[in-house]
Amino acid sequence: MKRWSGARLVLTLLAAAAAMAAAALLCLIVGSTGVHWPRGQERLFRLESATDSALIGLALAVAGVAYQAILRNPLADPYLLGVSSGASLAAYVWRLPAFALAGGALGVAAVSQQAFAFAGAILAVAIVLTLAGRRGRIEPVTLLLVGVIVNAINGSIFLLLNAVVRDLPGTGGPMTFLVGDLQEITSRQRGAAAIVIFCGALLLLQLSGQLNVAALDDAEATALGVRIHRLRWISLICASLVTAAAVCIGGPIGFVGLLSPHVGRLLVGPDQRRLLPISAAIGAILLMAADGLSRYLAAVNHLGTRLPVGVLTGLLGGPFFLWLLFQSRRRM
Amino acid sequence: MQPLLTACDISFAYGPTVALRSISLELAAGQVLALIGPNGSGKSTLLMTLLGHLCASGTIAWDGKDLKSWRRRELARLVAYLPQSPRHEPGQTVRQVLQLGRAPYWGAFGLESWADEQVTLQIAQLLKLDDLLDRPIEQMSGGQRQRVFIGRCLAQQPRALLLDEPNTFLDLKHQQELCQLLRQLARTQNLAVLMASHELNVAGAYCDRMVLLGGGAVAATGTADQVLRPQVLSAVYGLAIQRFEGAGGTPVVAPA
Repeated sequence: MKRWSGARLVLTLLAAAAAMAAAALLCLIVGSTGVHWPRGQERLFRLESATDSALIGLALAVAGVAYQAILRNPLADPYLLGVSSGASLAAYVWRLPAFALAGGALGVAAVSQQAFAFAGAILAVAIVLTLAGRRGRIEPVTLLLVGVIVNAINGSIFLLLNAVVRDLPGTGGPMTFLVGDLQEITSRQRGAAAIVIFCGALLLLQLSGQLNVAALDDAEATALGVRIHRLRWISLICASLVTAAAVCIGGPIGFVGLLSPHVGRLLVGPDQRRLLPISAAIGAILLMAADGLSRYLAAVNHLGTRLPVGVLTGLLGGPFFLWLLFQSRRRM
Repeated sequence: MQPLLTACDISFAYGPTVALRSISLELAAGQVLALIGPNGSGKSTLLMTLLGHLCASGTIAWDGKDLKSWRRRELARLVAYLPQSPRHEPGQTVRQVLQLGRAPYWGAFGLESWADEQVTLQIAQLLKLDDLLDRPIEQMSGGQRQRVFIGRCLAQQPRALLLDEPNTFLDLKHQQELCQLLRQLARTQNLAVLMASHELNVAGAYCDRMVLLGGGAVAATGTADQVLRPQVLSAVYGLAIQRFEGAGGTPVVAPA
C-alpha cells in the first residue's frame, strides 16, 4: 500500500460516502409497506429511518475502532464495555418526571439529553476500566466480564425505574433499552446527534495516525513522539461522546462497534487511518441493512411485528463475538 | 566536540527501592556505547530515564538542551528507542512497521509526505528489506524481525539510537550481524548508539566503550579491554570469571 497522502484520504472518504449512499438508496426501496420506490410521506419516513440507522452505525463503528485501538483489545466495543447501556440509562433518567422537576428547581433543565447520555457513558466506561484494570494493565477477558456486569446492573436499574414509572412515553419501552431500536426523534434531536457524531468522528480521524502508534508499548509510542496518555483520554472521551449521541437515537444496539472494525481490517488491514473511514461506512451499511431487513420482514408479515434492529445485530454479531473470543483465548 | 547526550548524577527509585545511584555518562555522535550488568542492575531503567519516560533526579541534556525542554515530537526526531520486545499489530507488513517510524514527521490526519515515503524506501534498501516490504511481520524470522524494528528506529532519522537488549532471542550469527550493523551505522551515519546488553563478548567486540552497572551504580567504565576484567566482573556478577584473548586481542570472558 502506498503512502497516506491527502489525495488518498479524500478518495477513501469519497469511496466510503458513495458506498453509504448506495446502501441508503437500496434501503429506501424496502419498507414495512412493501418493496417499492416510496412516495410522499412514505419517502420522508424511509429517508429518516435510513439516515438514523446510518448515523448510529457510523458512530458505533467509529467508537469501536477507537476503543479497540486505545485499549489494545480486539474485543472492545461500546456495547460490551457497558458504555451504551450507561448512556442509555442516563438518557432514560433524563426523561423521568422526578428528574425534570428536580432539574427545573435547580435550574439545570436546559441540560440536554445528549449531555446526560454522555455523562452516563463516561461514568460507565470509568467504572469498567477502574474495575478491570490491574497495575495499569487490562486483560481482555476481565474487561468483558466487568462490561457484562455493568450492563446487567444498568439493565436492572432501568427495569426497576421502568416498573415504578410504568413505560415512560417516548422512551421506546424495555425492549428498546435491552436490545436497541430506532426511536421516534425530532429533526432537532437528529441534527444535534449528527453534529456530535460528525465532530467526534472528525477528531478521531485527525488522531488516526497517532492511534496506529497507540497499538505499541507505551514507551515505544512515547519514543515515537506521541503523548500516549493524553491521546488515550481524548480518544476515550471522543468515542464515548459519539456513542452517547448514537444511543440517544437508537438505544444500546449491540455488536456493530465490534463487527465493523474487524470486517474493515479484513478489507484494508490494521492501519487506523484507512480503517476508521472504512469501518464507519461498514457500520452505517450494516445497520441500514439490518433496519431494511427488519422492515422487509414486517412487510412480508411473517412475524406479525417489526423486529427491533438490535435483535438482528445481536443475531449476527453474537456468534461473531463468540468466534473472536475463541480466537483470542487460543492466542493467550 | 560537545557530546550528544550528557547525563549527570542520575538517581531514581521505584518507591523505596533505589534503582539508579548517581550515574553520570556521556554519549558522542559516531560512538557505540554498551551498557552491561546483571539483571536488575538498572540498565533498562537508565534508558527510560534518559528518554524522559521516568522522572529521575540529576540533569539530562540532549544536544545541549535540557531533557525537560524538549517537546516529545522533537525529541523523537533526535533519539529513537527500541525496547526488548517491540510490539506490532497482527497482520502488519514490513512497510507498515517502517512507516510508523515516520510518525514524528506526519501531518494532520497522519498524512505522509513524499519525503516520508523516500526515507522509508531508503531504510528498506539499507537494511536489505526492500524485497520483503509487503510481507506480514509474523512470517519473518527473529533476525529479520529485529532488522525491521531497527529500520523503524532509523526511519525516525535520529542522531541517537537507544536499544534495550536488542540481542535477546537472536542466535550468535544474528547477534554478530546486528552489532556489525550498529557499528556500521555509527561510523557511516555518525549515529550515537547506546545499547544495553547481556552479551558481554559480542558487545565487547563491537562497542567503542562500555559502562558496567552493578546495584544501580556505575561499577566500571572504559574500553572493553578495561571493563571486561575478571576482578571487575566477578565483583558485580558475584561469580568467578576468567578471561581469554580472542582474535585480534579482543577480550573474551566466561565463568571460571
